[in-house]
Amino acid sequence: MTDAARLQWAQAMVVTGIVLYVPANVLPVMTMTVVGTVEPLTVLGGVEELYDSGLWPMAAVVFLASIVVPFLKLASLSWILLMHGSPLAQRRRGTLRRVVHSIGSWSMVDVFLLAILAAVGQLGALAGVKAEPGGFFFAAVLVCSLLAAEFYKPRMIWQTNSEPTR
Amino acid sequence: MTTTDNRISAWLACPECEAPCLDRQLPKKAELRCTRCGVRVKIASGRHSLQPAWAFATAGLFVAILANVEPIMTFDVAGDTQSNHIVSGVIELARQGYGPVAALVCFAGVIAPVLHLTAIWYVASACCLRRRWPAVHRVAVLIEMLEPWNLVPVYAIATVVAVVKLDMMGTVDWKAGALWILVLSLCSLCAAEAFDRELVEERLEALK
Repeated sequence: MTDAARLQWAQAMVVTGIVLYVPANVLPVMTMTVVGTVEPLTVLGGVEELYDSGLWPMAAVVFLASIVVPFLKLASLSWILLMHGSPLAQRRRGTLRRVVHSIGSWSMVDVFLLAILAAVGQLGALAGVKAEPGGFFFAAVLVCSLLAAEFYKPRMIWQTNSEPTR
Repeated sequence: MTTTDNRISAWLACPECEAPCLDRQLPKKAELRCTRCGVRVKIASGRHSLQPAWAFATAGLFVAILANVEPIMTFDVAGDTQSNHIVSGVIELARQGYGPVAALVCFAGVIAPVLHLTAIWYVASACCLRRRWPAVHRVAVLIEMLEPWNLVPVYAIATVVAVVKLDMMGTVDWKAGALWILVLSLCSLCAAEAFDRELVEERLEALK
């Protein structure tokens, strides 16, 4: 794959990720039935529920992992891709890419959480957990940002417009 | 045993930006950084054995079996009891029509960790036993690719959060599987940490 194609694929993946980020956060990821009442939960709603039950450190972990990290990842990838070919801030872009790479996988917390909770299925009429379309979009955002980072190789940060890209 | 000491200065490619960096002998614990992007090109780690990586990978593989076979927790609502495994979440997601999400969970939670540990086990044992096993170089590349996908530590965190959430709905009890998941994540982290890339390259080079 040529570097030009890699760049295009990475751009396409980031744009797709940004578009899917909206439904991923607006749509509910699951519906929980607690003592007979059915409540749909978005990603943020799940954090709120944890916070309300008094477990704010846990709420903070989930908030960071499932809302802040995907957003930061998409934002920094767009910045890195927009700056492609420019000789400015190359070192900083490299550092940012490494940081994003190392924290990126933590957003999988929410997908795993969905899987563990969904395993409950329906337990009588009183309790149950069902996966909802939001979970699908959320997983898609993760995969898109992961693929974008995979297509855009770190060495491509150091290509400038003056030297021809291979 | 070949060490870096008898290697004459040569050019190394930076693993990050591929800029050429002049290799030199390093005192213990010192590191060589790329002059262009500042990433570590090599480090004199002082390690001279891959046996810890081999041991952690072997332990990890055994624990991986236990972590997948033993139930993680039991959940009880008004007399209905259910025990959960890692795969039960995957199966239930697939059954509810979320096949791709189930595949992602299955890959990152079960397949990738086992493959990652197996690959480390294979390369580390080839290095320790000094055998030229087939495709060792390709497996070494595979390790690099699989490492970000070994998400067992993340799964362990998710388990804790899930228990808290389920506690609002009914009675949750920890089972042995949760402990094995924790041990598995420690084993994976330790194996990846002890798997010294430079040492592996050196050993594989010596086998040729």
